[in-house]
Amino acid sequence: MKKSLVFISGLAVLASCKPNLHSNTPTANGLNFSNYVAVGNSLTAGYADGSLYRSGQQNSYPVMLSDQFSLFGATNFKVPYMPGEYGYPSPKLVLGYATDCKGNTSLSPVPYSGVADTAGSNTNISTQGPFNNFGIPGIRAVDYLSAGYAVIASSLGAPYAARIFSDPFARPIDELKRNNPTFFTLWLGSNDVLGYATSGGEGSPIPNHPNNISSFANFRDGWDSTFAVLLRNGAKGVVMNIPDVTSIPFFTTVPANGLPLDTTSAAQLNAAYAGSGMTFHTGNNFFVIQDVSAPIGRRQIKSNELVLLTLPQDSVKCAGWGTLKPIPQKYVLTTQEIQNIVTATNAFNQHIADMAVAQKIPLVDMNAYLKTIATGIMFNGVNFNTKFVTGGAFSLDGVHLTPRGYALVANQILQAINTYYKSTIPFIDVNKYVGIRFPM
Amino acid sequence: MASALLLAGSTAFGAGFQINVQGLRQIAMGGTGTGWMWDASSIFYNPGGLARMKGIQAYGCVQFLVPSTQYVETPTGSYSARTQSQVFTPFNLYVGGRLRENGKLAIGLGVYTPFGSGIKWDDNWEGRYSIQSISLQSIFFQPTISYKLGDIVSLGGGFIYATGNLKMRKALPVQDVNGKDGSAELKGNANGIGLNLGIHIKPSESIQIGISYRSQVNMTVKSGTASFVVPNSLASNFPNTNFRAELPLPQVLSVGIGIRPIPKLTLTAEANWVGWNAYDTLRFTYDKTTPALQNTKAPRNYKNTVAVRFGANYKVSDGFALMAGAAYDPSPVVNGYVSPDLPDADRVILSAGFSWKPVSKLTILGAIEFGNSVKREAQYIPDNFNGTYQTKAVIPCIGLTYDFR
Repeated sequence: MKKSLVFISGLAVLASCKPNLHSNTPTANGLNFSNYVAVGNSLTAGYADGSLYRSGQQNSYPVMLSDQFSLFGATNFKVPYMPGEYGYPSPKLVLGYATDCKGNTSLSPVPYSGVADTAGSNTNISTQGPFNNFGIPGIRAVDYLSAGYAVIASSLGAPYAARIFSDPFARPIDELKRNNPTFFTLWLGSNDVLGYATSGGEGSPIPNHPNNISSFANFRDGWDSTFAVLLRNGAKGVVMNIPDVTSIPFFTTVPANGLPLDTTSAAQLNAAYAGSGMTFHTGNNFFVIQDVSAPIGRRQIKSNELVLLTLPQDSVKCAGWGTLKPIPQKYVLTTQEIQNIVTATNAFNQHIADMAVAQKIPLVDMNAYLKTIATGIMFNGVNFNTKFVTGGAFSLDGVHLTPRGYALVANQILQAINTYYKSTIPFIDVNKYVGIRFPM
Repeated sequence: MASALLLAGSTAFGAGFQINVQGLRQIAMGGTGTGWMWDASSIFYNPGGLARMKGIQAYGCVQFLVPSTQYVETPTGSYSARTQSQVFTPFNLYVGGRLRENGKLAIGLGVYTPFGSGIKWDDNWEGRYSIQSISLQSIFFQPTISYKLGDIVSLGGGFIYATGNLKMRKALPVQDVNGKDGSAELKGNANGIGLNLGIHIKPSESIQIGISYRSQVNMTVKSGTASFVVPNSLASNFPNTNFRAELPLPQVLSVGIGIRPIPKLTLTAEANWVGWNAYDTLRFTYDKTTPALQNTKAPRNYKNTVAVRFGANYKVSDGFALMAGAAYDPSPVVNGYVSPDLPDADRVILSAGFSWKPVSKLTILGAIEFGNSVKREAQYIPDNFNGTYQTKAVIPCIGLTYDFR
């Protein structure tokens, strides 16, 4: 008896020697997440690696947010999930090995070669809606007021609205009205600039074509109408602004001076371009690009101009692109084109900021945040940056994010919500998600 | 290919690894041992006091160190983790004393483990890219000589040869097609040398004063092995290689006093100045480096500390005594550099113990120490890993001494 008492008290002593820290209970401070609706484009849909596939959607920031919101009650967050992992309509990119024109094999993004589990991807699933993740890859703010958007987008290779709209000829804003959010996130407007940028700033003579930067008036009308629909029942939410697309890996991976020359080739080019003002030397040189406004229709690219990730590397390595054959304009953003992008982005963002203030909705400055990724941010021992593949935040298409990148975004949104609405919603463990997957 | 600085994280050998448990009676008395001389453990606490030992004594004890640390993410408390339970058994062996009962010269040898511990988190925990597990074991060998100048002052000194090993594991943020992390394991043997010097002053039978100085010991890993598990496509970026590292174990200057106001009661007080600022930066130098595997330089920025200790010994009867003590041991780790491999914080220590002499030459000693670190909300800036930590440790100890005289 006495012995067992000693034993028990001994155990009690040992047990008392474990620390016992309490964490505070999460609070929503009155926010109602029972019908959270996320409005946006591909970034909201969970698009990654150049396509839309099921696990990408599962790792979208709205799904991450709804997981956190579910701490305060059921959210029944409906996502228009794709049937499979292959990617739709085109296969997603994965890291693999590719052999270039010179016979060198190296690690690079290649189309996924697994099972094409896409059956049913083009079936309209609007009866399962309305969907809480209303992220539609490719959609612009201006498209929200465009009747027949789903049909037009499908014809341009973005069949996503056609999948979920109850009426293919409806304006997206009318489809959105099927939702009655109690809380929303709105991240819309990137594609009002991005299509121009990723097509090399060439634009299109067709009015309102996605390769053109949206006019401010059209952007404003589309964005404001969408915002008004979300606010119509007194919902709370957050809005995000437009990232400066010129700092993403799609534009920063291929260096302007990515033309290596030996002494002989440099001399040959100097001879060929004698009198043009172009000079070449042994080592890294600035590419020769097409420029109709230059005296001889071509010039060397400037150090602050950008080459697109889609530049065919084999044409550079083996077909003389960038030397005697100038790189076509559609693979380059010139100083003027970059200026057009920055000017539009700033104007759109100013409007978003003004509207957020007017409607007393917090703004997440994603533009500023993604710029901090460009210089590198550390999260729990992992360094994220915008280096293609190794940076960890951007997926293999150089534009969209990895699951970890989307988790970083989700935490920024949570921080804005907590700050503005004085809630204490727990942050997401970014490293719970996957970054880039390297082959065996 | 993979980004550099994957290993820019951390490894720590410091305050949490310093275990002030080199003698049973001293543990029981709050860690005080520099002022009052009790037994052969003076070889560690104050070599100057060894010449007070009337004859040769053999001394052995072992401690059972069971640390437990909890982490809670800040600012939202979304995540909590506890370290896996581990038992460490630091031990101390001393043989020494005056060669002749009335002589002035004493010699001795100490074998003890002043630094040695570790921490083990779950492999999948949130801080895995900073640390999964780390352990440092060290054994100090200290041949010692001590000389009694007169009735009042005695001097002593020992040469320290330290040997040990370190082992650490962490996840690498490179994932395979299944999303599984890479991993890094670094291990190696380390050794170093140092000195332990002391003066002991005994102005009267009821007062003793001691000053001791233990030099810094630079534990050098000359050729550790670093091995990596990464996807094959990255294997050439992470070659298995040897590495070199240096871990300074700090110098300690101690001043202690003991008084005996009544014959049965001894009271002690002590201060330890610890030169932690030697632990400024932790460098790992790899034999083979790649753009992904670079030599690392982790800032530590430790600051010097002063610990204060108090103890009491009450002689209940001729063969039986009870001890108790308390200490305050501030953390050398400054805000911004509290890493999950060593989530150090100011520590409050309470202790108690007994000594019992069943037969004339034999003494059995027992002690228990409770070490509680205060709750610390902290950042580790290099990894941007933030949280609140608390560590508790209970250390039961048992030992015996045998007098040959």
